[in-house]
Amino acid sequence: MTTTVINEKIPAPVGESKPRLENRKKATGAAIYADDIQFGNGLLHARILHSPHPHALIKSIDVSKAAALPGVKAVVTGDDFPGFIGLYLQDRHIFCRDRARYVGDPIAGVAATSEEIAVNALELIDVEYEVLEPVVNPEYGASPEAPLLHPDLSEYEVASFILPQAGTNISNLFKVRKGDVESAWEKCSAIVEHKYRIPHIQHVPIEPHIAIAQVDETGEITLWGSSQSPFAQRNLIAQALGISQSDMRVIAPYVGGGFGSKAGVSMEALAVAIATKVRGRPVKLLLTREEEFYTAFVRQELISYFKMGCDENGNILAMENTFYWGGGAYTEYGVNVTRAAGYSSTGPYEVPNVKTDSLCVYTNHPVGGPMRGFGMPEMHTGLEQCIDDLAHKAGIDPVEIRRLNCVKDGSILVTGSKMHPTGLPQCIEETSKAIQWGQKAPASAPNKRRGKGTAIMWKAPAMPPNAGSSAWVELAEDGTVNVGLGGQDLGQGTFTVCAQMAAAALGVPYESVRVATPVDTRYSPYEWQTVASRLTWSMGNAVVNAAKDARRQVLELVSEAWDEEPENLDIRNGVVVSYKSEQEQPLKDIVIYGLPKPDDQGWMGGPIIGRGKFMPTYVTGLDPETGQGERAVVHYTTGAQSVELEVDLDTGQVEVLRGVSAFDVGRAINPALVEAQMEGGFVQGLSSALFEEMKMVDGFMQNPSFVDYRIATTTDAPSEMESIIVEVPQDDGPWGARGIGEHSMVATAAAIANAIYDAVGVRMDGPPFSAEKIYLAMLDAGIVE
Amino acid sequence: MQEAHPSLPEFDYIKPKTLAEASQFLADHAGKARPLLGGTDIFVRMRDGVWKDKYLVDVKGLNGTNEIAFDPTKGLTIGAAMTMNQVSAHPDVKEHYAVLADAVDKVASYQLRSRATTVGNICNASPAGDTIGACILLGGVLNVHGVDGVRQEPLSSFFKGPGSTALKPGDVVTSLELPLPPKGMLGKYLKLGRNKSSDLSIIGVTVVGFPDESAASGYRMKLVLASVAPVPLVVDKVEEILSTKPIAEESIAEAAQAAMDTCAPIDDVRASARYRKIMVRNLSQKALTEIWNELGR
Repeated sequence: MTTTVINEKIPAPVGESKPRLENRKKATGAAIYADDIQFGNGLLHARILHSPHPHALIKSIDVSKAAALPGVKAVVTGDDFPGFIGLYLQDRHIFCRDRARYVGDPIAGVAATSEEIAVNALELIDVEYEVLEPVVNPEYGASPEAPLLHPDLSEYEVASFILPQAGTNISNLFKVRKGDVESAWEKCSAIVEHKYRIPHIQHVPIEPHIAIAQVDETGEITLWGSSQSPFAQRNLIAQALGISQSDMRVIAPYVGGGFGSKAGVSMEALAVAIATKVRGRPVKLLLTREEEFYTAFVRQELISYFKMGCDENGNILAMENTFYWGGGAYTEYGVNVTRAAGYSSTGPYEVPNVKTDSLCVYTNHPVGGPMRGFGMPEMHTGLEQCIDDLAHKAGIDPVEIRRLNCVKDGSILVTGSKMHPTGLPQCIEETSKAIQWGQKAPASAPNKRRGKGTAIMWKAPAMPPNAGSSAWVELAEDGTVNVGLGGQDLGQGTFTVCAQMAAAALGVPYESVRVATPVDTRYSPYEWQTVASRLTWSMGNAVVNAAKDARRQVLELVSEAWDEEPENLDIRNGVVVSYKSEQEQPLKDIVIYGLPKPDDQGWMGGPIIGRGKFMPTYVTGLDPETGQGERAVVHYTTGAQSVELEVDLDTGQVEVLRGVSAFDVGRAINPALVEAQMEGGFVQGLSSALFEEMKMVDGFMQNPSFVDYRIATTTDAPSEMESIIVEVPQDDGPWGARGIGEHSMVATAAAIANAIYDAVGVRMDGPPFSAEKIYLAMLDAGIVE
Repeated sequence: MQEAHPSLPEFDYIKPKTLAEASQFLADHAGKARPLLGGTDIFVRMRDGVWKDKYLVDVKGLNGTNEIAFDPTKGLTIGAAMTMNQVSAHPDVKEHYAVLADAVDKVASYQLRSRATTVGNICNASPAGDTIGACILLGGVLNVHGVDGVRQEPLSSFFKGPGSTALKPGDVVTSLELPLPPKGMLGKYLKLGRNKSSDLSIIGVTVVGFPDESAASGYRMKLVLASVAPVPLVVDKVEEILSTKPIAEESIAEAAQAAMDTCAPIDDVRASARYRKIMVRNLSQKALTEIWNELGR
């Protein structure tokens, strides 16, 4: 269902549900993914030796036997690559050097003429370890008793807005001190306090990580990979190897799912590092699913403490929140998750008195990194349950307390910034209406209990203040348009959306637009990363600016040729028209060869290439002690989700019957794709709520395969899903658009938890809300015998 | 960490022409060779590095492995190579052995069942095997070709432990025989998984029931549990209680409690022993009640 605000000024095809450009290729198998690329007989296969210990000093590594194995072309270790790598905090080497910090940490790499030989070579590498005590709990890790995982933390290079605490395992501390929390509690008539624990989960893309790297005789590097971040990879790998960014080329073919796991740099640097030792030969590294679980990014775990209180009318007066993020062995990327959670730590509520400590803590677990939602699902899962409990304690309806306290246009936010116009109140109304809030339907069977739950959310793009986008738009002889961009399509449809925006901004039919892919850092324009749900907004702006630039060039040329004012000219449907003289000429006759001057006196114009960029310039720093500042983020996307479900009293199994989502996307450039994001996010949120957990025991994962790491299938998705688009335009978004990709799974787990509580009256300390956990909670509560 | 092989390790594929040839090869390469049916377990375990066989001996296509035959006077024979989807779709299976079709349809996913075989599921001898309970309760007997000729192995004594059976090197199971079921028999398989499809069972309960004049209650009810013991667990107590006492809510509850008390499951990554035990009781009660309601009609 779509409730779109009709606005005559929105040019087609913006607002139309165009099918994704690559649908046919993907459906027929014609789409080329990294592993499909053929490299011929010269291809070498890489395998990695991983640390078997969660925490150990590396005393010695002997690779001589492996190197002597016939077919082995290179064996490398950390000794070969002294440089640091990392996005926000350079706390990682490509291979371990003196210390292994998680089970799976890369110790050595082999390139061989066959996968079999590479596997056999690994067994010939002798490593001597001194096993150390691991840190497997972030709350303990933050304490002075915990062994230090990164004794050199204070010497690492770090972004200005990340605050590592020297001599501790805390790699970032984000503090909010707003108002006066202590004196606020006595004004509260209801106060609740809760602790929640959110486990590590993983993105589990269908296509595992893959990288093929080749270094030519002059040292120029080419990397083909399944990547969300070709430009960030170019930059970070070049820095780590001490080479020029211009000597590092990244080519990014289709991606079989990312969800954040293919952002930044992870295993790609391993393939590149090995390839530097076998110049001329391509080296392929493809992760197994087990390696994917152990060695690719995981979502950070979180231990969260919430305390919140409201007055007798339900106005929330204070919040005191402490987050211990289990960042894993390296937090080069994850530190910013914890910062995002800090500056969003009240959830989408206006709260006058706030105290927050958000701590990023090293643990001997897999590397925490970006995942869909970037800290927001983890934080909201606890926070939004707490809001429900506060409502119940204060005797207020859970929807009403949200309606009352949610951020609105002009609200003073947790960081002191002012909220921009937002459709959050509408989202709450829409989901409540759709789920028939307040009406209790009977359960479908005597042994079942039915419940409804709701939760709301906000999320800002989490990125450096100056993350930039650029684009170009060129036209071909037949007037078709080629859009150059540097962001990646992960299935979210960004290429399609950018084609729609280019068509609308230039004035050509959608069918005339192509996107210049695959993204190749040698030819494609710069894009920071495909993360943060920022592409429709940021890259979209760059594409629109490039299209407008091309349009300006065309119209200036025609204005001169026709001797007319540019204001009277337009490009419509690929044809330049004059509203004054009623002359018209198709773009194809103009954009390559220019236009003839009168009387055969030469030519004017030439090939048209429009360029555009976008970079936010207004995000300010925040006070490190109070977290207060003028403008913490570019904007917030907000939304609400409601569910109806049943709990089986015999087994504890949950069946989600209905899911309703409403999000304020500013402007839906492609409503069908927006709805697809809402449905996909809901199901991923449901999966994290009911099934997903990396079961860690003493630093070892117990379920590193799909046999025992369960994810929701279509049979687990609700048969009824409703997605409602709310559009309150963003002032600097293309036609008002802002992102939706990640937001759709932020509130889901909390909404499900609240519905379980509504159904059977039990709360658990954290997801997954498995049948077993629910049943045993019901048993302990005396609800079943 | 678990270092799975990135693809499959090397092995030789052996396609014997006769059962005698198959048995001889398997016996000659004991410990290094394994009969291959659907391969849905074998290939996974080889990739995981758990099984390191050098030879896979494809026994599909050998005499008697490739048909499902129903004789109204004797019963059903399921060839070893018949896939699960072929078994559950067979009209005679649906009509006379509905409990087997029910169990087969709850194994993994439809796609996998297009490869996987019922006989393979039995020979794999997983405590979690979904179809094993039905085959035991239906009085299943395996036809086995070994180096010393053919013999029969009744399922009631076939399972020795997880992955361990009465089969010896050189043995090839050619088919599963199920005798004619008692008149009026109904059955059900209840499987508890973590999510709705494609999971291994946390527990599984197979129940059959039929009118029996020799029983004091007039009915005979039997129950087998999966995933709660090293081998499929036949709970004789259930049959005893429900054949001697009038079948009613109380006796069913007592039988379900007996099932719970009989089993000794373990804690593992899928579930705790505590939850498993209670689920045995709840699902046994549910399955027995449903069968009783249907029988009573």
